Amino acid sequence: MKIVVCVKQVPEIAEVKVNPETGTLVREGVASILNPFCEYALDHAVRIKSVRADVTILAVSMGPPQARAALMRCLELGADEALLLCDRKFAGSDTWATSLTLAAAIKEAAADFDLILMGKQAIDGDTAQVGPEVAEILGIPQITYTVDMEISSNGKRLSTRRECESGSEVVTVRMPVLVSALKGEMLRRLPSFAEILAARSKPLRTMNADALSLEESELGLQGSFTQVVKVFPPSARKSGQRVEGLEAVDAARVMIEFLRAERFV
Amino acid sequence: MHEIHTKTCTGVPVEAVKCISGFGEISTDYATYLTDESKYPGGKAEKLFFPRDESELSAVLKKMASSVTPVTVAGARTGLVGGCVPLRGALVSLELMNQINQVYYDECSEEWRVRAQCAVSLSELNRCILSKNFAGIEKHGTEEITAQLARFRKEPYNYFYPPDPTELSASLGGTVATNASGARTYRYGATRNWVRRIRVMLPNGEFLDIPRGKYFASPAGEFIIYDSTGTPVHIRTPSYRLPATKNAAGIFTGPNMDLIDLFIGSEGILGTVTAIDVALLKREEKISVIQFVASDEKALDLVEALRNQKAIPLDFLELYSEEAVKLLRGRQKKDPKAVGMPPIPDHVGAAVFFEFSFQSDSNSMDYSAVVDAVGRCGTDVRNSWAAYEPRELDRFKTFRHILPETVNGIIAERKKQHPGLHKLGTDLAVPDNHLREMWRIYTKKLHAAGMEWLAFGHVGDNHVHVNILPRDTDELEQGLELYHELAFEAVRLGGTVSAEHGIGKIKTPYLKVMFTADQIRQMRDIKHTLDPVGILNPGDMFEVAS
Repeated sequence: MKIVVCVKQVPEIAEVKVNPETGTLVREGVASILNPFCEYALDHAVRIKSVRADVTILAVSMGPPQARAALMRCLELGADEALLLCDRKFAGSDTWATSLTLAAAIKEAAADFDLILMGKQAIDGDTAQVGPEVAEILGIPQITYTVDMEISSNGKRLSTRRECESGSEVVTVRMPVLVSALKGEMLRRLPSFAEILAARSKPLRTMNADALSLEESELGLQGSFTQVVKVFPPSARKSGQRVEGLEAVDAARVMIEFLRAERFV
Repeated sequence: MHEIHTKTCTGVPVEAVKCISGFGEISTDYATYLTDESKYPGGKAEKLFFPRDESELSAVLKKMASSVTPVTVAGARTGLVGGCVPLRGALVSLELMNQINQVYYDECSEEWRVRAQCAVSLSELNRCILSKNFAGIEKHGTEEITAQLARFRKEPYNYFYPPDPTELSASLGGTVATNASGARTYRYGATRNWVRRIRVMLPNGEFLDIPRGKYFASPAGEFIIYDSTGTPVHIRTPSYRLPATKNAAGIFTGPNMDLIDLFIGSEGILGTVTAIDVALLKREEKISVIQFVASDEKALDLVEALRNQKAIPLDFLELYSEEAVKLLRGRQKKDPKAVGMPPIPDHVGAAVFFEFSFQSDSNSMDYSAVVDAVGRCGTDVRNSWAAYEPRELDRFKTFRHILPETVNGIIAERKKQHPGLHKLGTDLAVPDNHLREMWRIYTKKLHAAGMEWLAFGHVGDNHVHVNILPRDTDELEQGLELYHELAFEAVRLGGTVSAEHGIGKIKTPYLKVMFTADQIRQMRDIKHTLDPVGILNPGDMFEVAS
């Protein structure tokens, strides 16, 4: 059984800072990490592998050469092999071009996949589009916002629990299928030193645009329907006012005056 | 050269210094200034000064000296022995002296250095060094100084300041005054090793500018300090030998010692460090490993095996005793997310936590020395947690804090029934060859007494923090007696009563365990020579006569 986990390397940012002059993200001093949602997706794959001996996990990422580090992290956490899609022609891809490229790579490297796992979204772009788009391009079912999953004993069906607005749903589907994952109940793994060392001997291949059955016009900026025109920080919110040191009645009076003055009441 | 002249500051009136007067106002609006991290009670001060620079500090000290008013000097108040808790008189908080002045390359020693005022916090210092972003220097630096900063920024490497006391909100001056150390002292030594120059204000309001490597004790063990009137003050360096361990007890001494070392670690009783030049080191990628082992004995085996292998120098080497691991596992079972780590396996006894240089993007490095050392101790590296990404290393840092936090939580709970209760944490260290013997003493005495206890910390430096958790006040009394006995044993084995916390006000009785009356008199003589009236930090290191 083959599980493909698509992952992305993202900047570790608690607070996005934008250079006001260039309109680009400030990346100095910001480390790169495996996108947390991708780590959750991988964790689901590793959990499946822990109960099924026949599972192999392929981690796939599209990115610059330094994205190898995110794939290395996957290998440390339990992936068996990794594939980096790396080519200048991929630069500037929007979610559509990214999905097209990933789908083509999966067809090339793991056409016999049973399950594709992705994080719900990346914490930098926040689009949550790539998973559903890859499923559409590959013509397979998709289950999004999944928090738990289990493969049937015959290895043909996947039973999942997904979050929805009203609570959660249990959805069972025939594989192959694409699932996008949330954290669920997982406790983040920590590899052992042995696993960190072993990861460095696992296969980590690189694939470029020539290996994919796509036209150059379908790749990168050329193949993108959308472009980021401008990035800007949200305007800073004013901090609230505190009413302190007054009796409750007087404090309420101050607050009512404020609400009136601001025309809230 | 063993003779040095003091320098004077520009005169400013003491009235120009920000000051809060009256114990009433200080204890109401500035109560946090009357204690420190040790929670030592009874802090009292009639005046609280906030000098902005050396001139203002000098004015305060001169005024206090003339009125024979005791002065307690406080940095960030992160000490654990009550060093900056004032007993009476005036309290001086140095917090406004918090500028980083310069980053420069010293051609002779071929190292980058930072010059900073005493109240710069270690976290701020490290943040600026790592980001190479020194807003203060850019704003106020001269053309030459900003050019040096530009050169630093062009450096292809990242740098760091190696001393790493766990409490990063500590002030740089405070860490110099106490010769602060921490986990990474195992590799890099204590603060002393990284201080290249200090400016130290003497109790008379005049200061010394002491670069390392210029003023050494005469063959007779003497320094002469001339004040601004040309009057010489003779300082005799103590004749005792300090233990061959990490040590924070007593005044530093040694043959042909450097004057700078007299003040570093003297807990502020001889003078106030106002500015410091520290050396930086190139930053390397590191990996932290928490290696699980079957028992405390196996943990000690691993400590020795890791120390004996020389191929891979370790930055730190720490212990989690069996009881410590049990406590953490218990906490995890109650709340799996509390510890922020995967479940500690049930078969795990103790753990050894260590760190070394690592290249994450290369598989050509040879780590077999570590793998083999672990293998010789009845386990293997599959039975471990490891991390090298900053985000993951932060998880380890949090994990490190959770143990003392859990201990404090237990004591806080018990305090509800026994208000006077507190934990007893040892700070003893012994030489390398006595680690096992000291461990046997801990286990024998504490088990015999039926005390609840655990141990963690800097086992690489034979400096394990044994935490005794008394269940009631009787056990607290018993624990205090045991503490004393353990201190005697550590000293008997050639160790120290305080490896890193210092003496301050809380541990003055232990100084007598480690030093003879004559040796303490030698320390007091130095204090008396520089501070004849005894106005500076009374009660620190030596008890004050009541």
